[in-house]
Amino acid sequence: MGTGALEQLKVRPPAAKRIAVRGVERGMRSWTPWLFLAPYLVLFTLFVAIPVLYGLWMSLHNWDQFLDEKPWAGLSNYTELFRPGSAKAGPFWSAMRATGIFTVLSVPLLVILPLGVAMLLNERFRGRSFFRAMYFAPYVLGVVVVSMVFRFLLDPNIGALNHLLGSTTPWTTALPWAWISLVGMTVWWTMGFNAVIYLAGLQDIDSQLYEAAKVDGANVWQRFCNVTLPALRPVIVFVVTVTILASANVFGQSYLMTQGAPEKKTRTAIMFIAEEGFQDFNLGSAAAMSYVLALFLMALSAGVFFFFRRGEDRR
Amino acid sequence: MKARRTLRWAALIALTVLYVAPILWMVLTAFKTEEESAASPPTFLPSQWSSEALDTIFASSAQTPVLRWFLNSVIAALGTGAVVLVTAAPAAYALARMEFRGKRLVFGGIVATLFVPPIIFLAPNYEIVEALGWLDSLPAVIFPVAAGAFGVFFLRQFFIGLPLELEEAALLDGASRFQVFTRIVLPLSKPALATLFLLTVLTNWNDFLWPLYVLFNPEHLTLSPGLGLLQGANQTNYALLMAGGLVASLPVLALFAVAQRYIIEGVSRSGLKG
Amino acid sequence: MSRQQFLFACAALLAGCGGASRRPTASFGTGTGYDGPPVTLDFWNGFTGGDGPQMLALVEAFEKQHRNVRVRMVTSRWEDFYTKLPAAVASGQGPDLALMHVDQIPTNAEHGTILALDDLVRDLGLREQDFAAPVWRAGAYQGRRYGVPLDMHPIGLYANTQVLEKAGLDPKRLPETRDEYEAALEELKGKGIQGHWVTPFFFTGGHQFMSLLWQFGGELTDPAATRATWNSDAGVEALEWLRSLIKRGYSPRNVGQDADSIAFKNGQNAFIWNGAWAIGDYGSTEGLKWTLAPLPRIGSEKAAWSNSHNFTVMRQSSPDENRLRAAKVLIDTITKSPAWAEAGQIPARRSARESPAFRKLEAQSRLAEQVPDLRFAAAAPGLSDVREATLDIAIAQAVNGSQTVRHALDDSARRANELLRLNREKYAT
Repeated sequence: MGTGALEQLKVRPPAAKRIAVRGVERGMRSWTPWLFLAPYLVLFTLFVAIPVLYGLWMSLHNWDQFLDEKPWAGLSNYTELFRPGSAKAGPFWSAMRATGIFTVLSVPLLVILPLGVAMLLNERFRGRSFFRAMYFAPYVLGVVVVSMVFRFLLDPNIGALNHLLGSTTPWTTALPWAWISLVGMTVWWTMGFNAVIYLAGLQDIDSQLYEAAKVDGANVWQRFCNVTLPALRPVIVFVVTVTILASANVFGQSYLMTQGAPEKKTRTAIMFIAEEGFQDFNLGSAAAMSYVLALFLMALSAGVFFFFRRGEDRR
Repeated sequence: MKARRTLRWAALIALTVLYVAPILWMVLTAFKTEEESAASPPTFLPSQWSSEALDTIFASSAQTPVLRWFLNSVIAALGTGAVVLVTAAPAAYALARMEFRGKRLVFGGIVATLFVPPIIFLAPNYEIVEALGWLDSLPAVIFPVAAGAFGVFFLRQFFIGLPLELEEAALLDGASRFQVFTRIVLPLSKPALATLFLLTVLTNWNDFLWPLYVLFNPEHLTLSPGLGLLQGANQTNYALLMAGGLVASLPVLALFAVAQRYIIEGVSRSGLKG
Repeated sequence: MSRQQFLFACAALLAGCGGASRRPTASFGTGTGYDGPPVTLDFWNGFTGGDGPQMLALVEAFEKQHRNVRVRMVTSRWEDFYTKLPAAVASGQGPDLALMHVDQIPTNAEHGTILALDDLVRDLGLREQDFAAPVWRAGAYQGRRYGVPLDMHPIGLYANTQVLEKAGLDPKRLPETRDEYEAALEELKGKGIQGHWVTPFFFTGGHQFMSLLWQFGGELTDPAATRATWNSDAGVEALEWLRSLIKRGYSPRNVGQDADSIAFKNGQNAFIWNGAWAIGDYGSTEGLKWTLAPLPRIGSEKAAWSNSHNFTVMRQSSPDENRLRAAKVLIDTITKSPAWAEAGQIPARRSARESPAFRKLEAQSRLAEQVPDLRFAAAAPGLSDVREATLDIAIAQAVNGSQTVRHALDDSARRANELLRLNREKYAT
């Protein structure tokens, strides 16, 4: 997350003002802009533009990256995914379902809890930046360290949590516990990131708005609903979209902590696509699965976009 | 008011415990022997502070060069940040301040890819990186990652917001576009450049999926896939895992402690100003 | 249009990586020694555990004997090994030689990752009778030899002697039959100990199921590996028995990955059917008293799952005969040495297995009693991935009780048959 792609959902780009001095473009020849663009366009063409089409091309083949023969397969890599009972369809949709479950469980928590933390930190007191840094710190540790630590803490047999609770809960090996663990760990890991974004949004709210609301006799809850939330709206939209995309791309947590257990039910879509491509050497079929997943994600982003826009129009 | 303050401190302390405990557990376990780390019930403090796990990691014959991975990660993350700045800034400037044929097409094309989920790139970029001969080397985890459209979009928004007058005056004085860009626009854009750099570094640092499949030799790994090596399937040595985690986190946490203000400000800006 | 042409048309800057001929071979020179110019060999394996240092010691001993050969040993997890090795070889970053599980040989032969070694074994004078026959045969694929077997690592019956004594059982005489084994578990249960923890994971549940399948007279696939046959009555009986250990209270439910092994070290259970690799781990666990025996016979015949590490030689874009010759000498030297057995493995080579040095290793020798009964999975490209995608899940479903045994096995076999068909088309076998 972080460099999430959807900033423009809320930003309306101002029209580019060009530098026009006495009606002539000064200091540049016709190829000057292209010179400025060239370095990026090389990267962009090679690693963004070509791959989008090349992946499509690959998905139309039985593409084993280590065989010279990559026979044409037509649309079969796609149709296999939609043929009920086929060997690929079952595990693929079960993985898509896992990603869906994770997203539905984690997004609300990652949208609401960090707001609470941000409000906790949005007042002047000593040690504020210390707490802010502490809650953010897990994010810089990375998914591998965090997953390893939680796998250990949650080990059903020798883990500290079960010892503390005096229970034998199978945190990483049975449902629904495995979902609770994966979501809980993800919240612990990335909550600080969202909280920091909220906090910056809160600090931008004009304090006079609160004063005015107080004068009108609004209580804490009313002030939250009528001042904080509306003012925070663009930030909330940003957090929601970025969090949805990050959650839908979940990979490392289940790859490292549950390894798909139990019975591959926590194997996510990305994890399955990576296995199909790199472990079973079917990059063509993996590419086809990527496009199907991508269509879902794009539909989801569009849905979020229109949901929030409609809300804005009604206002 | 007093009650509210008490409540706030209670919440802060509860959260702090929740955030410190797992890290503390990792640190303590790193100093236990393998047997003690797997003991049931677990011990809190190591009954005997042992450097067994750390020794294993740092042994010269060890196949887990954690420091090497750390160095690779640093190079990859800083490298990606640098490549993003060097390529995205001039491109964004051209798109913000110059008129030329095909501009709408170029900008539209770049922005459109912001909506493409990254999973699309996994299979084709693997083949492209292989064809370039970059598999198992750091360029594989630098250039494809730096090609993302976010940097260009982000900087273009910022450049457009800069006042025009300075640039116009410089042009009147006969400065070239390149001079205007390097001497006026870039210095004015330091905060945006720093934000972009930090965000790129942070994203790259946390990247796991891509390096997992394009780097092979333990010497060439970055930290994320490297630490995964410690986790074997038929033998889980938690003391070793935690020691690896500790060694990997210490420098990051130290760096974070020093630079946390800038990192956090960078992240917060990503949500406010696009 | 090939992918090179496609890329060329698009970007006009990619130099194609050149297709390799599909069944590459190379010249290994003649003789069994190395006296050429100094060379450095890259040698990859997946020994990330306690067996890594042992292999390194063997490599260092080899370097001392052969002053003009340096060896750079590189260890990666077995889990990622088979995704990384072909990619490294294809991109010219591959090692000179590597150890590989014998069931991975067909896939890697098809991908042109490894070289045919018929000339190498002929030079060294290696024949079937120099090895245990099943493991030697498993290293060939489509009439050509690709692997030189180093070891065999079957599973065996480990027992925690202190726990057995506490329950009044004789650790000197471990159960050998189904009745004896179940009686021991019942005895332990009476003392409040769940004796045999069943995990839903390949380590160790998958190994246990396959051993039982063979014990009940079943097979994983037909001989040509075109159809899955693990859903036979033998398969159902085998899996029902594993499941019954949970039902009868000899095992807890939802056992985690490696939790059975950690519990064994902690004295929480009494038995574990674990692989040869555990010998080193348990041997270095302070305060653990344990013993080892062949698996009890639960079904109608004796059988134990085994796998084997095989030396393989990697294809190079520009083969260097000196390095190939040095690799040949290294393979010969290390497979001959009984020292590798100290990591817990049974040497594949007869001379090493019958050496006094090996006989002195008590636990390993007990495991080696099973050699005539060892079974290796059939060889077909992609087969182990198919198994992982189907059978492994079925075992987990049955052990966890989320599916009936019969349904889980039938469903997995049906999907496996489809995947096997796709693989036959893909590899044109």
